[in-house]
Amino acid sequence: MSSHYNPLQHPEVQQGTTGRYIAAFLASAALMGGAYYASTQKLPLMEFAATAAALSLAALVSQLALFFGLNISQAQIWKGVALFLAIPLFIITIGMTVWAFSSLYSRTMPMDGMLMSGQPTLLQ
Amino acid sequence: MATSNPTGAALALWNPGADEHDPISARTYGFWLYLIGDALLFCSLFASYAVLDNPVNAAGGPLTAQVINTPHGLWQTFIILASVLAYSLGTVSLKNGNAAGVQLGILAALLLGGAFLYISGTDLWALAAQGNGPTRSAFLSVFFTLLLTHGLHMLFGILWMLVMLVQVGVLGFTKDVVGRLLNLRLFWQFQATMWVCVYFYVYLLGGAR
Amino acid sequence: MQVAVDGPWSPLLGRLSLAAIPYDNPILVSTFAVVALLGIVIIGAALYFGKLGYIWREWLTTVDHKKIGVMYIILGLVMLFRGFMDGAMMRTQQLLADGPNSPGYLGAQHGYLPPYHFDQIYTAHGTLMLFFAATPLVAGLGNLIVPLQIGARDMAFPYLNATSLWLTVSGAALCMISLFVGEFSNATWVGLMPFSEMPTNPGVGVDYWMWAFQLSSIGTTFNAINMIATIVKMRAPGMRWFRMPVYCWSSLTTNIIGLSIFPVVTVALTMLGIDRYFGTHFFTAGYGGNFMLYVNLFWIWGHPEVYFLMLPAFGLFSEIVPTFSNKALFGYPTMVAASFSIGGIGWVVWAHHFFTMGMGPELNGYFSAATMLVGIPTGVKAFNWLFTMYRGRITYATPMLWALIGLVLLLIGGLTGMMLSASVFDYTVHNSLFVVAHFHCMVLVIGAALFAGVTYWWPKVFGFKLDERNGQMYFWTFVLASLLVFVPLFYLGFAGVTRRLDYIYNPALKPLLWVSEGGIGMYFVSLFYFGKMLYVSLRDQIPAQADAWGTGRTLEWLTHTPVPFYNFAVTPQINARDELAWRKAKGVEGVQPTHYVPIHLPSNTAVPVIIGALATVFGFAMTWRIWWLSIASLLAIIIVVIIRSFDKNEGYVLSAEDIAKMENQVALASIIAEQPKRPALAQVEAH
Ligand code: HEM
Ligand SMILES: [Cu+2]
Repeated sequence: MSSHYNPLQHPEVQQGTTGRYIAAFLASAALMGGAYYASTQKLPLMEFAATAAALSLAALVSQLALFFGLNISQAQIWKGVALFLAIPLFIITIGMTVWAFSSLYSRTMPMDGMLMSGQPTLLQ
Repeated sequence: MATSNPTGAALALWNPGADEHDPISARTYGFWLYLIGDALLFCSLFASYAVLDNPVNAAGGPLTAQVINTPHGLWQTFIILASVLAYSLGTVSLKNGNAAGVQLGILAALLLGGAFLYISGTDLWALAAQGNGPTRSAFLSVFFTLLLTHGLHMLFGILWMLVMLVQVGVLGFTKDVVGRLLNLRLFWQFQATMWVCVYFYVYLLGGAR
Repeated sequence: MQVAVDGPWSPLLGRLSLAAIPYDNPILVSTFAVVALLGIVIIGAALYFGKLGYIWREWLTTVDHKKIGVMYIILGLVMLFRGFMDGAMMRTQQLLADGPNSPGYLGAQHGYLPPYHFDQIYTAHGTLMLFFAATPLVAGLGNLIVPLQIGARDMAFPYLNATSLWLTVSGAALCMISLFVGEFSNATWVGLMPFSEMPTNPGVGVDYWMWAFQLSSIGTTFNAINMIATIVKMRAPGMRWFRMPVYCWSSLTTNIIGLSIFPVVTVALTMLGIDRYFGTHFFTAGYGGNFMLYVNLFWIWGHPEVYFLMLPAFGLFSEIVPTFSNKALFGYPTMVAASFSIGGIGWVVWAHHFFTMGMGPELNGYFSAATMLVGIPTGVKAFNWLFTMYRGRITYATPMLWALIGLVLLLIGGLTGMMLSASVFDYTVHNSLFVVAHFHCMVLVIGAALFAGVTYWWPKVFGFKLDERNGQMYFWTFVLASLLVFVPLFYLGFAGVTRRLDYIYNPALKPLLWVSEGGIGMYFVSLFYFGKMLYVSLRDQIPAQADAWGTGRTLEWLTHTPVPFYNFAVTPQINARDELAWRKAKGVEGVQPTHYVPIHLPSNTAVPVIIGALATVFGFAMTWRIWWLSIASLLAIIIVVIIRSFDKNEGYVLSAEDIAKMENQVALASIIAEQPKRPALAQVEAH
């Protein structure tokens, strides 16, 4: 905080490079384009879901590594730790909710309503 | 400062000047924490989406496959990634204190962000105009809410960029301005990352079902 | 868009009209009289003693973590009192309205509160106690002590810290306003769905509740970010991770929980909000709405929230037990590990609040088992405290007494929690007074820890101890009262009394209801001793030592008492886990720094309190659907933040001579003392 503190010399400023950012853009765009391409290919649902998930995940990782610049250096480690602690929470929140409600729906909701989408169901 | 105890050994007890903490690191770290909280906010929206993306919750109305435009979504993906790239390249100019470069990057990011919002906005508006607005069914409520939450974040980012354009000119690269520029980069990048999740979950998976 | 509302609406005043003032309700009118009188007395006293400027300059606009902590605690205690009055009213109603022949007063058929009013009272009770009593008290102690314990000058973000405080205050203010303008929610503190939706709940009560909840959640999230960043980034040299006091560890875990859960409840409440304001169908009874989704999101937040409050309590015990046993804490690493596992397990058990939803045996089985697991780390902690006391030299000072009773209550609450965690058992007592008794035991653990903490650190902050004799009277009467009130509820729950009843059907339960009411009476006695304790201590003000209890072990006891506003004249070098105990062992606890370097501190700012005021206006305008005012106040907040971001103020510097002067005369630097104006520095541009 002293007067000789030069914010432009800060590692957070100095860490970015043109090459890394362009690489991040290209990787993410290509991966998401690939996922879109897969969606036009009439793959079986599960196979497509797995492909799209893998490609999107790779796009996310490329952004974390290249755009966000996460790594295990002294300067970035605590960001990584925070994210690492949070990821299980994302999975749990979505996963357990989906599990609980699919189980609930399969027990309580009219099954034919689930199958015939667009049909009026008993709830209305 | 060294002091000796009664037995004469040197002990370090005080550390004058040690409270020079690094404000920019603390600031970006705090902002990163906020982003994690924001990610959980999106995460709960995704969980709700997963529950309500169901014929039972569509109340006879459309489901994901009938309301999305996957190619548009792909264009939006490219646009938002390009916008992040523009902003990031702007912060590369920050390394040698190049104000014009920073402002140019922000301006490009801002325009691309506007284009993104324009596509989202017109698509959603058209959907609502067909009678499939957010009040049509629980599914459409969550569909609109998820997309608009993302859109609101983008809008906020654009406002922030406008402020920063002025600040870079008026205040120059003070410690606070540099800290804000760095945080804005994280914020903007975060929107792209969330969009990748939205695109995967809503446009690709939802479209396939 | 505005969903059609019952009753009149005007562009200028929204739904607000004179009819919103409940002047025909004697209970509310007399409450208003009391509150107004108190307000007049306080403001009048401030004017009379010429202290208004002082309060504004030194308190309302402060960014000092200790003052913010003190204000949090004051807010918490005031709200605790109001929450207690609500509780007393509820118990009295149930006592009176027992059986078909029970009399009715004040327009009620049984008892003295009509059902609609009664419902508002229990909603207010839960909301106030959790968000505006327990949370501020926890946040306040954290604010006060964590920076001192890690040897920091302040929190990582002092300005954000003040903003958190004022957002919390604005939520509390909305609750208070709802007493006298309109009504409060009648849909319980958890927000019953779809009952909280527009068709079934067209009044403004739910909106008040929702906005109060939202504002305080935002404040709490900011505070969590601040605390984590402070602990990660601001530790003094030598304060390695495994030298941190256990209280800091528990604050860290608690705030990790806080940061991760509050966004979830924000989403749940926002969905309810757009249902109510825009007519969407997240949780409605028709159009595919799913109200169990709300319950799910609510408890994803709700269960971790109970640990958000509990872990700091565990941290406080971990500070107090060693000090009053004159012995190092037993099992430090296991304490840290247990905090993290409690946090982790606490995150994955939420559905035990709705076993009865019908999600099926696999899920109920999982959630039962996961809930039971939390007993293991909790047991580790309990045994560590016991082993700390084992062969220690125990002094039964008031903080220690509170800690001990906390352990007993933890045992009762924990065992009944274990019973509830078996889903088969839970089906029979779900939503009964048994559950109420269970979680009140748990909440009283938190309460005991907070009273312990306030008594323990009071001398550090104000320079004199709370009166021991009256403190102990307060303690004993409070404990007796709690047992009288809540132990009968276990039995009543088994006897089939569900919770939240304004009328109890079975006159045979009268004796137990009387016992419980006796406890309420006892609480009033304890309140008397609390007041007397404050009075006597403020009157006598017997100066305390730097190490006020004589056996302190951690860093905060190293600096002066009362603590100077700059915390440490020179940042200490940390050499050991219990730094003060280590210095005592080396015989250097009295060694002071010999020369000072200037200290850089942040300037005060009015922005946070202005944001808080505008947020109150915003919540009020949204509640009453005064659209222009909502938009105006929201814009005003944004503009204030932008204007402030152009401020070049870079804080001020405390010169070495100033520090030397204050170090010789500590009273000059206490947080009560008024500081002279010191010129601010301006930020410079980098080249
Ligand atoms: C950290 C301290 C704790 C607090 C503050 C606490 C608080 C609460 C609260 C507020 C409720 C009632 C929610 C409602 O219906 O409105 C509750 C219910 C419950 N608690 Fe706890 N609890 C704590 C610890 C535990 C423990 C240690 C266990 C078990 C090992 C447990 C098991 C349960 C269960 C199963 C319920 C659901 C009962 C029902 O609604 O039928 N709790 N608790
Ligand atoms: Cu729970």
